[in-house]
Amino acid sequence: MKKRLTALLCLLAMLLPMLTACGGKETETGDNGEKVFRYGTTAYGPAMSNAGLNPHDNYSGWSCVRYGVGETLFRFTETMELEPWLAAGYEWLDDVTVRIDLRQGITFSSGRSLDGQAVRECLEDLIAVHDRAPGDLKIQSIAAEENAVVITCSEPNPALLNYLSDPYGAIIDMDYGVTEDRNVAGTGPFVAYEIADDHVYLKKNPDYWGGEVKLDRVEVTAITDGDTLTMALQSGQIDAVQGLPYASLPLFTDNPSYTISSADTSRVFFGAFNYETPALQDLRVRQAIAMAIDKESFTETLLNGNGTPAVGPFPGNFSFGSGAVTAPGYDPEEAKALLAQAGWTDTDGDGYVDKDGEMLTIRWLTYPGRMELPLLAEAAQATLKDIGVKVEVNSTANSADILESGAWDVYVSAFVAAPTGDGAYFFTTHCLADSAKNRGGYYNEELEALAAQLRGTFETEQRSELAAEMSQIILDDCGFFFASYLKMNFVMKSGVTGFTAHPSDYYEITAQLDMTM
Amino acid sequence: MEQKRRRPLRGVTLRLALCALLTGLILLVAVFAPLLTPYDPYAQDMSAALQAPSAAHLLGTDTYGRDVLSRVIMGARTSVFSSLALVAIICVGGSFLGVLCGWLGGKVDTVVMRLSDLFLAFPGMVFAIAVAGLIGGGMVNAVIALAAISWPKYTRLARGQTLAVKSAPYITAAVMANNTPLQIIFRHILPNIAGPLLVTAALDIGTMMMELAGLSFLNLGAQPPTAEWGSMMSKGRSMIQTSPWVVLGPGFAIFLTVLVFNFLGDTLRDYLDPKRRGVRSE
Repeated sequence: MKKRLTALLCLLAMLLPMLTACGGKETETGDNGEKVFRYGTTAYGPAMSNAGLNPHDNYSGWSCVRYGVGETLFRFTETMELEPWLAAGYEWLDDVTVRIDLRQGITFSSGRSLDGQAVRECLEDLIAVHDRAPGDLKIQSIAAEENAVVITCSEPNPALLNYLSDPYGAIIDMDYGVTEDRNVAGTGPFVAYEIADDHVYLKKNPDYWGGEVKLDRVEVTAITDGDTLTMALQSGQIDAVQGLPYASLPLFTDNPSYTISSADTSRVFFGAFNYETPALQDLRVRQAIAMAIDKESFTETLLNGNGTPAVGPFPGNFSFGSGAVTAPGYDPEEAKALLAQAGWTDTDGDGYVDKDGEMLTIRWLTYPGRMELPLLAEAAQATLKDIGVKVEVNSTANSADILESGAWDVYVSAFVAAPTGDGAYFFTTHCLADSAKNRGGYYNEELEALAAQLRGTFETEQRSELAAEMSQIILDDCGFFFASYLKMNFVMKSGVTGFTAHPSDYYEITAQLDMTM
Repeated sequence: MEQKRRRPLRGVTLRLALCALLTGLILLVAVFAPLLTPYDPYAQDMSAALQAPSAAHLLGTDTYGRDVLSRVIMGARTSVFSSLALVAIICVGGSFLGVLCGWLGGKVDTVVMRLSDLFLAFPGMVFAIAVAGLIGGGMVNAVIALAAISWPKYTRLARGQTLAVKSAPYITAAVMANNTPLQIIFRHILPNIAGPLLVTAALDIGTMMMELAGLSFLNLGAQPPTAEWGSMMSKGRSMIQTSPWVVLGPGFAIFLTVLVFNFLGDTLRDYLDPKRRGVRSE
């Protein structure tokens, strides 16, 4: 017995240091007394299509701008208005030509000066290799001057400056190019020195043009599991996080050791109906499904208030957003009535409506990458059951293949509807006949005409009116339903300053970021 | 050779009776789950979301305001029946294959044994995850995935036992009496090798329940809104610090049920083990 006790004590003595080693790093200083900011995020990696920092590849521009490596010619303010960033100003020479003057005295981290030639080389490579940029920018030619570029579009493109502010428009040194590990030379406050699919390590850019960079190093780590993220912050292993599960937020609110920065974004959780499904070709069925989704409960209870119930594709802070359009709210009784009008009633008493002997079953496709989506699916499954619609949820990371196969009826996803502050982006991406992501095959002739009109309209107010009109059309057609807009949260240790959530969702690490602990 | 059997040890019999009683209780809860739930386990009530355990909700409510106790009771049906079905499939299928190998020998034996070597060489759970990922989520697919990797254990055990009894005088007598191979297998071999197989199966129920719960935890098992203990734990894990009852209910149910089935297996082994029961050969 005594021997066993001794052995047990020895084992405990061995385990204790190991457990201690697993604990968090309590200090923010690195090996050489450097200030190191450790940031955990769910929004980086191959699953998000943004691994690496090459802005000309898929969505990696988001990582380039988010982590302070790249900067665009223009950027968005807190109210999503454009302001010059690397540009000093601009002038439209005619409907298709704009001259952009550049700030002087800026150098890339490679040491090369930012001038007209560097910007031209970068943008030419962008439209040569990127998937979305050529269609958005419609650039025909770029002329370089010493401290300016003159861009000529193939057709009037009023949203050109907005699109140039998309993270793919981050200006990088093409002489330096893209390294094997997907690193680039940008103009931002930080320079990456180690890049992998699960982390990006950055050091300060000592020659940053925008003022002194307060931190020496930043370590961005992808932590896809929300619970791991929560515990990493609690243990002090990381200093700030993005993407905490909503259930974990109460652990940090009203806690003096932590601060939270929140921003309403234009990321919308929405569903697209598959027009190939015979039952969904009936407007009344689509309306019934849309009316059976309890958006208020979803945002208030399941998202813990970290979201706003949606009406249309854009949130209320846009002039063409929720305040400018109307859509029926949660109304299960009216939904049942619509189904009955469409001939769907519960004839066999099994709780589900049927027609010609066939039960109304909806294959609800979504993916777990955004934690809100499976929650919405399960909530909708219950509320749709109340109106007699059977929902089969398929929440899979493999949703792209299933979309391709057509074996779905409703596809629910998350999308930043107005990343460039302009309404055209959502429609050109999802709602038009030639839209790359019009998965359900939605089509409306009037919408196509208004989209053509929008393409040639420069006046901001008129563009807003057109965007609102287009939103109302897709709502009236019920080709899509919109559940909620995301409220983004950064949770950080209380000594972290200059780390603020931005409505655009892509400005995170800046020169102002500091830690005063 | 004469076999004399002493009376089974009283303690083992008592333990067996207790285990059988507890197992019976679990099975009764699973069978009559719809009648026992105090609330509809699938009815969402957002206004009652994440309520702590109280007189109204003994195990509290989950994110969707569903009564956790009702879901745990209903989950017994999914978890227990799936495990029983899985063990039945691998025990019957695997054993039959093993008996065939043992009886026929030759090429059949070689092929099946090398195949079982192949399956045993894979890390079991990883292989099950791969299979479940390939054929898609759902409880049926999870059972198929686990069955695909778990049969070799029974095949090898049954083969070994068959080889041991194959040369016994009563089998030789049965052959000489012109019994067909199927008659010999069903009348003489299976009854004599059933003990070890039964014990292994009883011990496996708990293991399989854990593995099914594991697959559900990884979203490869039960799909929403099905009440299943593993998926309930998976969905509640982000609330372990803020609303622990969401996880503790199904977690405790898994713990208790696996414990009971493991005790049952152990006790059954003790009961059927001739040495432990004091059987002596003369």
